[in-house]
Amino acid sequence: MPNIFHDVMARRELFLILVGRNMKIRYKNSTLGFFWSLLSPIFLIVIYSVFFGILKIQMPLPVLVSGIIVWQFLAMCLGDSLYAVMGNANLVTKASFPRLILPLSMVGANFINFLLSFVVLVAYLLIAKVSFGALYLLPIAVLTQFVLCLGLASILSAANVFFRDTEHILSVVLLAWFFLSPVIYDLTFISDKFVEGHWVHTVLFLNPMAGILTLYRVALLSSECPEVKSLCLSIGIAWAIGVLGVAIFQKAQPRFGDEL
Amino acid sequence: MTGDHVIDVQGMGKRFRLHRSGTRTFKSAALDLLKARGSGKRDFWALQDLSFTVGRGETLGIIGSNGAGKSTLLSLLAKTKVPTTGSIQTHGTVSSLLELGAGFHPDLTGRENVFLAGAIMGLSRAQMRDRFDAIVAFAELDEFIDQPVKHYSSGMYVRLGFAVAVEVDPDILLIDEVLAVGDVNFQRKCIEKMEAFRREGKTMLIISHDLPTIQSISDRILLLDQGRIVGLGEPDAVVGSYRSLARKQSVSGLEREWGTGEIVIEGVDFMNASGKESDCFACGDSLTARIHYRADQRIENPVFGFSLSDPQGRLIFGSNTQIGGAKVPVVEGKGSLTLDLENLPMATGTYLFSFSVHSADHRTNYHRLDHYFAISMENERSFEGVCFMPSSWRMGEASE
Repeated sequence: MPNIFHDVMARRELFLILVGRNMKIRYKNSTLGFFWSLLSPIFLIVIYSVFFGILKIQMPLPVLVSGIIVWQFLAMCLGDSLYAVMGNANLVTKASFPRLILPLSMVGANFINFLLSFVVLVAYLLIAKVSFGALYLLPIAVLTQFVLCLGLASILSAANVFFRDTEHILSVVLLAWFFLSPVIYDLTFISDKFVEGHWVHTVLFLNPMAGILTLYRVALLSSECPEVKSLCLSIGIAWAIGVLGVAIFQKAQPRFGDEL
Repeated sequence: MTGDHVIDVQGMGKRFRLHRSGTRTFKSAALDLLKARGSGKRDFWALQDLSFTVGRGETLGIIGSNGAGKSTLLSLLAKTKVPTTGSIQTHGTVSSLLELGAGFHPDLTGRENVFLAGAIMGLSRAQMRDRFDAIVAFAELDEFIDQPVKHYSSGMYVRLGFAVAVEVDPDILLIDEVLAVGDVNFQRKCIEKMEAFRREGKTMLIISHDLPTIQSISDRILLLDQGRIVGLGEPDAVVGSYRSLARKQSVSGLEREWGTGEIVIEGVDFMNASGKESDCFACGDSLTARIHYRADQRIENPVFGFSLSDPQGRLIFGSNTQIGGAKVPVVEGKGSLTLDLENLPMATGTYLFSFSVHSADHRTNYHRLDHYFAISMENERSFEGVCFMPSSWRMGEASE
């Protein structure tokens, strides 16, 4: 495992060029280009505000908006990851380089996109006069999400080389995961219902996205933190998935050349 | 050159797993797992038992018919595939021209693709900037370099691909069938570049079906057939054995063997006028065929025959010992018989010999090898038609 990081670091120029290429391709032939990375979250916020207003949903808009923008990063990564290796078949079959750079640069491109959305989010939170919380937790949240995304993207990009069902399974799983994660709700309610240490906490926080979303909201919205132990469990699982995903990818990658 | 190997391949083999159902799904994977696991029937050895070394500064040509494993070998050397058995060691940077411009993304401009390709081959941005002008100049693309490559003509695309690969300045250059693309002008440039490479002492491995070119540019040639090395060495000799291998393959399918087996034709050697074994002749040459037979029992008055056909199976000429007035009174055990053909008249091409041995009354065919042996005619001066006829002209007397 340390080897692969060394190999990837040695080829960081390739990584950076591929990140740039992935971003350019996303906005190819569009007049507004990179502005879409800023415009989409703005439209997202506007649309949700309007409909939540109309439907009179009792939910603080900043919680929802932060949830959606954070979730978008994960969802985009997973969607794109299907073709991180497959879509670069011509590179994989013709040249030798650490294959991990493919999912990594794809996550990297989405990460930059996410940072732009994040700027919009922060601007919105400032306008909405939200009181920020423990901002020092923010880097932990961002890094953990990056690692989780990389792990899952690695698994999916490798799996899609061997099994073309991956795409269909992903869309179903992703939808279920969206509702199981506190994206359009938050978990502050459980501290009211269940005492600390109750198994419900543990079960809910087995989902790595539960911990990541909670961490973002603790940092940005000074939401209350339900239970530190469960939160740590959730973050730990995210990192474990990250490491495991890269390990699985490394195990599978020698066979890419034969399959593609 | 010994002790200074830049490529060292030892006992290397590559197996491909063939999937029954084309594209894989979870269902087919599960079914494959249940059925015939480890039966080995779906395995395909693209390369088997390859051992060779390439010295620094050597140019190795790789030839073989389609599907012989040439491209698989290059992708293993480029490390895009992993060998199933054995080992491959390379020293130095490897740049592969496995497919020109393969890594290009259609939506990126030529310039962006050049930097991407450079990064894939391990060069830094600064190193690529130094080489950029040379690349654009070699590819003759100046005003198009900032256009997306999807608008390029196929010639422009290939030129850019070649320019990038050679300007990257690798220690080892792998070239797969580059000479087949591009116009004559570009091909000449490629060959010049390869020769310059050679002078600089770089190592090159070249796949090509263009035999004369590969023969002239290579120091040694490796001949692959069905995933195995069947020849490795001096270019003329290996190209010669490839030509005769190709002849045999081109006529395979017509051959037929049958007979009762009292007498068996065990083999036939073909020799030229100087008595050397050969399967390549020219118009006017003489040919000697020595037929080795084995008779497990004593047979009296057998008749040996031969015939010569074209690759479509059309008979050109045939004769036998009875017609030729050469009596074979009796055969028993092993022996041989010699057939002499003088002044071969056929046009350039491949021809097939059939040999037979049957009883004097033609009732019993002991052994027949139909369309079994291929020879080729390579005539320096070509002529119209299927065979050469000695002809001359005379002017008539003026009639008035």
